[in-house]
Amino acid sequence: MTPAMVLRLAWRDWRGGELGLLVIALMVAVGTVTAVSLFVDRLQQALLSESSTFLAADRYIGGSQEIPVEFRAAASERDIEMADTMSFPSMVFASDDRSQLVSVKAVSPGYPLRGVLRTADEPFTRGEPTTQLPQQGEVWLDSRLFPALGLSLGDRVEVGVAAFTVSRVLTQEPDRGGSMYDLGPRLLMRVEDVPATEVVQPGSRISYRLLLRGDDDALSELKDSLELKPCCWWRGIRESSPAIGSALARAESFLLLGGLLGVLLAGVAVALSANRYARRHYDHVGVLKTLGATPNQILFGYLLLLTVVGAVAAAFGLLIGAGLHLALVAILQSMIPVELPAPTMRPLALGAVTGMICVLAFALPPLLHLKNVSPMRVIRRDLGSAPPSQVLSYGAAIVGSLGLLIWYSGSLFLTFWTLVGTLSALLLFGLLANLLLRGGRVLGMQAGSGWRLALAGLQRRRRENTAQILIFGLAIMLLLILLLLRTALLDEWRNQVPDNAPNHFAMNITPDDVAEIGLMLDANAREQGGLYPMIRGRTVAVNGIDAKDWEEQHRPQRGEGPRLSSSRNLTWASEMPGENKLVAGDWWQPGDTRSMVSLEDDYAEDLGLSIGDVMTFDIAGQRVEAEVTNLRRLDWESMRPNFFIIFSPGALESFPATYMTSFYLEADQKRFLNELLGRFPTITVIEVDALIAQVKSIIDRVTQAVELVLGLVLASGCLVLIASIQASKDGRMSEHALIRTLGGSRKLITGSLAVEFATLGLFAGAVAVVGAEITVAILETQVFDLGVSFHPWLWLFGPLIGALIIFVVGMAGTRSLISSPPIMVLRGLN
Amino acid sequence: MSRVVVKTEGIAKIVPTAEGQLTILEGIDLEINAGESVAIVGASGSGKTTLLGILAGLDMPSSGSAWLGGVEITALDEEKRAKVRGEQVGFVFQTFQLLGSLTALENVMLPGELRGESGAEKDARDLLEKVGLAERFAHYPRQLSGGEQQRVAIARAFASRPNVLFADEPTGNLDSSTGHKVIELLFNLNKEYATTLILVTHDDRLAERCDRTIVLDAGRIVS
Repeated sequence: MTPAMVLRLAWRDWRGGELGLLVIALMVAVGTVTAVSLFVDRLQQALLSESSTFLAADRYIGGSQEIPVEFRAAASERDIEMADTMSFPSMVFASDDRSQLVSVKAVSPGYPLRGVLRTADEPFTRGEPTTQLPQQGEVWLDSRLFPALGLSLGDRVEVGVAAFTVSRVLTQEPDRGGSMYDLGPRLLMRVEDVPATEVVQPGSRISYRLLLRGDDDALSELKDSLELKPCCWWRGIRESSPAIGSALARAESFLLLGGLLGVLLAGVAVALSANRYARRHYDHVGVLKTLGATPNQILFGYLLLLTVVGAVAAAFGLLIGAGLHLALVAILQSMIPVELPAPTMRPLALGAVTGMICVLAFALPPLLHLKNVSPMRVIRRDLGSAPPSQVLSYGAAIVGSLGLLIWYSGSLFLTFWTLVGTLSALLLFGLLANLLLRGGRVLGMQAGSGWRLALAGLQRRRRENTAQILIFGLAIMLLLILLLLRTALLDEWRNQVPDNAPNHFAMNITPDDVAEIGLMLDANAREQGGLYPMIRGRTVAVNGIDAKDWEEQHRPQRGEGPRLSSSRNLTWASEMPGENKLVAGDWWQPGDTRSMVSLEDDYAEDLGLSIGDVMTFDIAGQRVEAEVTNLRRLDWESMRPNFFIIFSPGALESFPATYMTSFYLEADQKRFLNELLGRFPTITVIEVDALIAQVKSIIDRVTQAVELVLGLVLASGCLVLIASIQASKDGRMSEHALIRTLGGSRKLITGSLAVEFATLGLFAGAVAVVGAEITVAILETQVFDLGVSFHPWLWLFGPLIGALIIFVVGMAGTRSLISSPPIMVLRGLN
Repeated sequence: MSRVVVKTEGIAKIVPTAEGQLTILEGIDLEINAGESVAIVGASGSGKTTLLGILAGLDMPSSGSAWLGGVEITALDEEKRAKVRGEQVGFVFQTFQLLGSLTALENVMLPGELRGESGAEKDARDLLEKVGLAERFAHYPRQLSGGEQQRVAIARAFASRPNVLFADEPTGNLDSSTGHKVIELLFNLNKEYATTLILVTHDDRLAERCDRTIVLDAGRIVS
């Protein structure tokens, strides 16, 4: 077969509608991937860059000593922007000798590299964004320092031996997140002014950061090129803010899973339509062979045809994907406040390669089989149409799907579970579908003619129908899985920051003030959280081994995770805090006076601590020993106080403690803080409302992306349904034409088709619900770290929705079957 | 002495069925000379079509050998058999077997194109004119009557300038008057191109037009 012949055949097949579904399925596969990945790629970049505002940079190098100059040289070689910050606690004195411990942050020009500072003329207002920094000789102060120190703008304060003018109220800084307990009220100054204060002495506790901003490749290259340890550590958003990191990681998993399911669905549609195309070409090939076409010529011809079709479909798919993504961006633009960065080339490559894999894995096997069609077929129709090699077809589809799964998810774990889920679902579905079909036939014997015809048809084509229920069921199952996961994820995210979640924390409350502050909060704040005692202390030994030696033995590489010997907030409680979950050991019994501690699970694991270890703490210069009796898991994404270490009641009672509480204030109630801090200048109030608002905006954005992907996957799902109905159309067509020739009315045919599709849909829906519940339970627990949930409503709606969808798509897809004259069908001309 | 173009020795075709082995053909020995026209007749299920398939190299026997134009086609693989078919054989089928997506002209051009000949289109036009379809070049099969479709099929069969033309019930799908015209056309072209004609038929009139008749009964040649 010459290329010209092949192209002519392809063109005629296209015009005759033979290739339409195959091309459309390929275009949808490529288009879905391209649109999803283009959008996700840009959204991810935007999310990352917005999340970067939590760091005020893309990455940073942190250290407890000055960051080496050669690091700066390496970064500037790669065109990476830099800014410095130094943070340290210090006392600040006002002119009337009032003083307050503050958390000083000294910054260099350029700060912040991501996000913005907001400043105001008066405390406790939202303020305006600014690109300025304090001038040398000036400082900007946190709102709460104004009442605490009795200050107004223009007043002078002393830090160390230097005096500064208070020039602005600092209302927001991007990298204020992180650990809220280390945040004293902020004093922002210039790095250049630090030497004059003389507060930085050898041994001072200072946290140095070199903020970095640049493109991802340059940053990773820089990271690899630096000898960071032992002085410094490298941080990105994921390491620095576990809450945001984990929301992002989940969203990514979901988007990937969604995109992947979309492609697999489109792959099924490609396979179905390629199969139909191949079956309709058996005669073609038979004739060509009698005319002297050799098997190799046939093979070459159809390979060429597939290449041309694949290339054209991929090209259009890319265009459609790009267009669709632009439309989506346009629609969502008003909802996405951040500017989307230009897409990378990766999504386009992803789309093109996906198209190729779909062609090779799903469309090629049935066409390869064409070369084996016997030429005898032209004189003996019953010969020469042996089915394509099942090993080849299924093998290629499985290898293709596996390749796509691994490539997309980048996770063997996710791939493994999706595969196990799909294979067990197929097995289970096959059995279930067969049972349902048998049951349907028994019922159909007692029914009217339309029903009997439909159910007899279902039973007669049991193999095809089992396959069709599998395909419908799989498509509906994938849609249900996405829907359920979306709901579970969104609920989880929304619950994470409930509307009335405390957005302020009050710390350093003395036992004497507890009652009065409680009354003030009751009168002015909407919600008030529990009261926790707090004592500063640090671990000095474990099982008699010095803490530093212990850490050296159990975690030789520094810089990752919390340190054992760092000073921490300790608390005690008789009951385990609500959001904590016991994972090992037992919570202490009331009345047990032994000195015991409960540790956070990951903290214990990182530091090699286990139940039975005896930890020695230094609290206000005294040694306290306590035995580890249980491990807890924490919800780090909750905006609630979380403690690595909780003591049993009694262990710390002899030490003077302060208390902390949390409360909720509306934006317009914030002036209350002035009153509160004026009345109790020694307490510390931490405002996390800005942080919560930031988290919420990220969650909203992620939600939009999730819904978008769901919509696209729904489109692929519908395509599979159409392809599957098309695939069975030929058989149905001749059968119904025969019935009409024998006098069956159009109404009878329509009725029996309606019953057939609705029943198929009902069965497929039932099968899908079983599969979806099982898969979602596995994904929720194994991949997304959520709790298992069952959905009774699904068992009612799943089958009904299945019946409705298949009925609608089926009737629309077979309209021509009912409307065309039977003779056309019998003559094989339609 | 005439040249033998089709020859078989001890051809048998046995297929496995649910009830055991089914013998379709057994002990078929025959020779057909160049230019001869031969009708294979017999009751339904007597093995006519299977024999035609084996003679034309479309199917393989279970045992025995067949020669086509001096080549032992039963010793060849499908790739080589296809080449022999392309060079030596033309076909006319009961169900016409035109490619629905190609026009009449394109259908007739197919054999020449498959062989990579440059003059395929001109030959095809000449042949279509010969079968009286000069006005129908650009028509698709669905736009042609049964008789016209069979005439296109005959034109296509002769387009490969075959040594042997195989026809399977060529009038089986046509009314008797159209069938008669098609037979005339087939025999006239056969004569003009000096082709060997082997046809399977139920039609006595058609069988009578042939030089020789081979009668099959239960898979054996009875006369």
